[in-house]
Amino acid sequence: MTDVDIQVRVNGIARRASVPPRLILADFLRVNCGLTGTHLGCEHGVCGACSVLLDGEAVRACLIFAVQADGAEITTVEGLAEPDGELSVVQAAFRDHHGLQCGFCTPGFVVSVTAFLEENPKPTDDEIRDALSGNLCRCTGYQGIINAVRAAAEALAESGGSASRDATAKETE
Amino acid sequence: MSGSQQATDTDRYAGRRVKRVEDARLLTGRGTFVDDVVRPGMLHVNFVRSPIARARITGIDISEALALDGVYAVLTAADINPYVHEQWFSLEGRHAPDTPRPPLAEGEVRHVGDPVAMIIAQDRYVAEDAAELVIVDYDPLPPVVDYATAFDSSELVHEAYPGNLVGQIGGRPMADLAPTFDNAPHVVSETYHQQAYCAMPMETRGIVTEWSPSDGTMTIWTATQSPHEVRGFCARLLAIPEHSVRVVMRDTGGGFGQKVLPLREDMCLMIAATKVPAPLKWIEDRQEHLLAAGQARHEHGEARMAFDDDGRILAATIDHVQDAGAYPSPNPVGSGIAVGLIFPGPYRIPEGTFNSRFAFSNTSGRVAYRGPWQFESVARECLLDVAARQIGIDPVELRRKNMLRRDELPTANCNGMPYSDITPLETFEQALEILDYDAFRREQEQARAAGRYIGVGTCTYVEPTAGASALYGTEGATIRVEPSGKVNVYVAGGSCGNSLETTVIQLTADALGVDIADVSSIQGDTAVTPFGGGTGGSRSGPMTAGAVNQTATELRGRILALAAHLLGGVPVDEVEFTRGVASVKGSPEKQVTLAEIADTAYFKSGSLPAELSVGLEVSGRFRAQHLMLWANATHVCTCEVDIVTGEVKLLRYIVSEDCGPMINPNVVEGQIFGGTVQGIGGALYEELAYDDAGNPVTTTFMDYLLPTAAEVPTIELGHVETPSIGPGGYKGVGEGGAIGAPPAVINAVADALAPFGVRISRLPLTPATIVNLLEEAAQRGAAGAAAAAGAARTAVAG
Amino acid sequence: MKPATFEYHAPTSAEEAVGLLADLDDAKALAGGQSLVPMLALRLAVFENLVDLRRVDELRGIETRDGSVWIGAGTTQATIGRSESIGLNVPLLARATPLIGHLQIRSRGTIGGSIAHADASAEYPAVALALDVELDALSPRGRRTIPAAEFFTGTWSTELEEDELLTGITFPVWQGRAGFAVEEFARRHGDFAMAGACVAVGVGADGRIDRCAISLFGLGPCARRATEVETELIGTSPADSDADEIGRTAMAGLDSVPTDLHGSASYRKRVGAAMVARAWRRALQEAVGD
Repeated sequence: MTDVDIQVRVNGIARRASVPPRLILADFLRVNCGLTGTHLGCEHGVCGACSVLLDGEAVRACLIFAVQADGAEITTVEGLAEPDGELSVVQAAFRDHHGLQCGFCTPGFVVSVTAFLEENPKPTDDEIRDALSGNLCRCTGYQGIINAVRAAAEALAESGGSASRDATAKETE
Repeated sequence: MSGSQQATDTDRYAGRRVKRVEDARLLTGRGTFVDDVVRPGMLHVNFVRSPIARARITGIDISEALALDGVYAVLTAADINPYVHEQWFSLEGRHAPDTPRPPLAEGEVRHVGDPVAMIIAQDRYVAEDAAELVIVDYDPLPPVVDYATAFDSSELVHEAYPGNLVGQIGGRPMADLAPTFDNAPHVVSETYHQQAYCAMPMETRGIVTEWSPSDGTMTIWTATQSPHEVRGFCARLLAIPEHSVRVVMRDTGGGFGQKVLPLREDMCLMIAATKVPAPLKWIEDRQEHLLAAGQARHEHGEARMAFDDDGRILAATIDHVQDAGAYPSPNPVGSGIAVGLIFPGPYRIPEGTFNSRFAFSNTSGRVAYRGPWQFESVARECLLDVAARQIGIDPVELRRKNMLRRDELPTANCNGMPYSDITPLETFEQALEILDYDAFRREQEQARAAGRYIGVGTCTYVEPTAGASALYGTEGATIRVEPSGKVNVYVAGGSCGNSLETTVIQLTADALGVDIADVSSIQGDTAVTPFGGGTGGSRSGPMTAGAVNQTATELRGRILALAAHLLGGVPVDEVEFTRGVASVKGSPEKQVTLAEIADTAYFKSGSLPAELSVGLEVSGRFRAQHLMLWANATHVCTCEVDIVTGEVKLLRYIVSEDCGPMINPNVVEGQIFGGTVQGIGGALYEELAYDDAGNPVTTTFMDYLLPTAAEVPTIELGHVETPSIGPGGYKGVGEGGAIGAPPAVINAVADALAPFGVRISRLPLTPATIVNLLEEAAQRGAAGAAAAAGAARTAVAG
Repeated sequence: MKPATFEYHAPTSAEEAVGLLADLDDAKALAGGQSLVPMLALRLAVFENLVDLRRVDELRGIETRDGSVWIGAGTTQATIGRSESIGLNVPLLARATPLIGHLQIRSRGTIGGSIAHADASAEYPAVALALDVELDALSPRGRRTIPAAEFFTGTWSTELEEDELLTGITFPVWQGRAGFAVEEFARRHGDFAMAGACVAVGVGADGRIDRCAISLFGLGPCARRATEVETELIGTSPADSDADEIGRTAMAGLDSVPTDLHGSASYRKRVGAAMVARAWRRALQEAVGD
């Protein structure tokens, strides 16, 4: 197995690494980059806990090899708050609406919702449920999460802001 | 706010939707779960697991695995099992009857996923490569897959247990009740079969063990609900002093009972750490979790009730059998007895009894899961709906007639459980009012006329919380006002999403009289916190409140004494202390802050009279005053069933609950929401299934179906508030949602399908199951019609 | 749950990619990876070589051509879902897209990957089959075009050779009065369908059905067409069509319908009939409603 050189930007910081091809992006982020906010709940693409933004789109970091992210811009949950620690609109809404309990699935939800509200800033309740259905939570019964997404959408609409701090890199094919 | 004001109820933090202190770190990816722990030189563990339900191990060849680059060791039972010194759980006690629990399979594998060998390697990738190179020779044996027939099997899961019987427990003989049933105008019975499903926390199990041979100390980081249980267990396992083991848990990603006890893999890591010169980490993957982290809820029981002409219950019995799997943890008999004890539920039932048996099978071991006795509610509440249909009375009326009223309390149920401070009828009426039951019945009639099948189901239950077992009977707290006047509260912890940090801070701020922003809590580290039982048995709220109140009261007394001195030697009872500021009653202008008091207590001890203690730190231990605190709730669910596909769509979901006063309504509601959705999952989606050969067929999240946001309705809540006899009047609330939801959902489906004559007795209610029920009912109906026609012909011919 | 080792290749052209697939031992093309990577993680699949297509730009894009829409095989489902041109010209594809997995899956999953993987329960193969798309394939022996009707050959198997790559899909644009619908039934939102149906129906100037396609998924080893029913429907009046009967007929004689924990073959056929009927009603309503 030949290691492959990659170069990525993670939360705005350029990183070069030589990685084995089989290294999963989530493990690259957690182990190589020390960004342990990206959690592994199933490792086969169902639970969504490992969701990260790859060039602005929410993806499952357990279903991508690190080598495939070469050249990409990655945002993890650690990259969503302001540098001074102020929570993003989505993060704050989760806090305000009891959208998390144990917090294990939370990074995946926060990242996915951030991408979702970028694409659909005024979602209906059905659209919210649809968008959340790729993330599993075992604590909240989803009630607080759904309320948080609704509140985040309203807050963004009022402020005219964007769900993600850096929403520049959306793929435009 | 003026410092001189007496604290009023509105000033208290308890009862408010205080924002959680846990959230900032968890929302920004800065929590510390066990997989986030990295130790210098750490090696990674993976287990070789049995692919066969039952087999004799005739040989294990580890040579190829050991030769692989990056593999440090491959250990088998011979390397691990002899080093088990003692193994028993503090939860159960040293002398409780226990079932076998070897770290690694020895001689025989007893379920698919049984750990056979342990790989220690540089990383998990290599450890998995190596696992594929271990060659285990198996001589297959006939497995005991179906627990329901295990008692009659000639095959034994464990040789020492004839008939595969783990144990049996019951009340008075069923035969005693025969006269009542024989003479009753109505007797209703049904045997309910519940599928295996489980806690399924989003964080799997995991443990890091670090042994320091030079001083004989062990440090453990693990995903647990009870760090002190893990500490004591490890000390006994290795025969090392309890204080030589330190267990640390910061964030645990959900427990729900699954993480109450250390299991076999944890034992392997504890022992192996003493054999290799490196810290070890094992993070269970989801497939392992589905194979070996245990199952729950797999049981059946024949429920019977006798009624008089008016629909009053005369007697109720349940004959119950539960699957223990191959290696249950703990022994299931102790908690399984609650199914029978609580079967009478919130009803006035003069006579009753129960019998429970527990069977070994060659499947994953039974573990604790949120309301382990939940089957009592399934059997009772579903049977009541059957009874209502059979007797010809509305199920709500039947319940009203039989439900305990406030003026009948306290009382004991017919199996001896002592009820007090419960409000089943109040929650029942409140939930029905939120629904508007009569309007729903009218809507149902119209819907049926239009070919749509909607139904309503209810479940009312009573639940023992904060049970004062040996481990759970006390809880400690240490509160320290630091020299700056900031407060640290130390409790054992074990929070797995149940917001114990926020709860403790609220309680402490109230009990001491300080600003909540000045309080922080330290939990989950056995080296620094008081001993405690951890999260389990819906105990955290009441027991921690007891510990904090008792400790804070003493500390507050010391604060007041110091304040009295600093305020010029006024009598202590003239001192007011609110939000961290002390003043003399009636003279608010003269104040002394907690920071000043603490500064004096630590740094100006020479200025203090000898009778005043220096420093500001108190440890206290609360002892539960009651065997249990009763909570209760009613769940009401409406649904629509698509009779073509069998799909169940939940329309409305209402929970009315009485957990006493709420410390933090957000936390209480979150517990109810989460438990309810787990119960919905159990009723409709989740099943840990095995085929006839004992092969698990739900080994990924593609097959084990957890409900998603798209399947779950909005849950509407009502509260009834009756203080318990425990500290603060609080009651436990962690488990109830998972108890009440399955019967409410099942009854709603049964009600929707009542026009077809469907009888539900097997779970879960998958779409295919519902279609089968419809087809069976249609056949019965056709057969019934044919029989009736035949009888008519006979009558004519006669 | 970690994948076994493999060598990684990231060619920049389709020709280079098929060259690698031909030359390397035990090589597999990696597109979005949303089906392949779980199989690798579970070690249900192991390959010595993975040929990643992410740098092959020629595989991506959506082009409206004369009477048809060409979609590069590497185009993601999310891109298709966002495409106005597809919503307008290939409504069936647009309507099937949100049913695929979840948004995080659609961000990476590609149309070519989905069709080439040919999962029996997947939406895109059934859409391709219903619309009689043409599939462009490239191998070291050259290019060829495979009609959808010949493409799906069995469980996870297609007409593609091991060194052959799906490069693009050409969707015909249905002109005139037409309606399209996809209906599926899954245990949970986003799960693979237990049974599903695509319907495309056209109504001629005489008001009679002049084009009709019904494809099924989750109801056999791979996506399949209900050709007998289609034939019967051509030339009939929409007012005469009995959707439930069409559903039943579409299921009649279906063999190799899967059975698993979630439902038996007969259950799937019952649901399949309902999905056909529901899709038929919706599609027909759209076709005649203009």
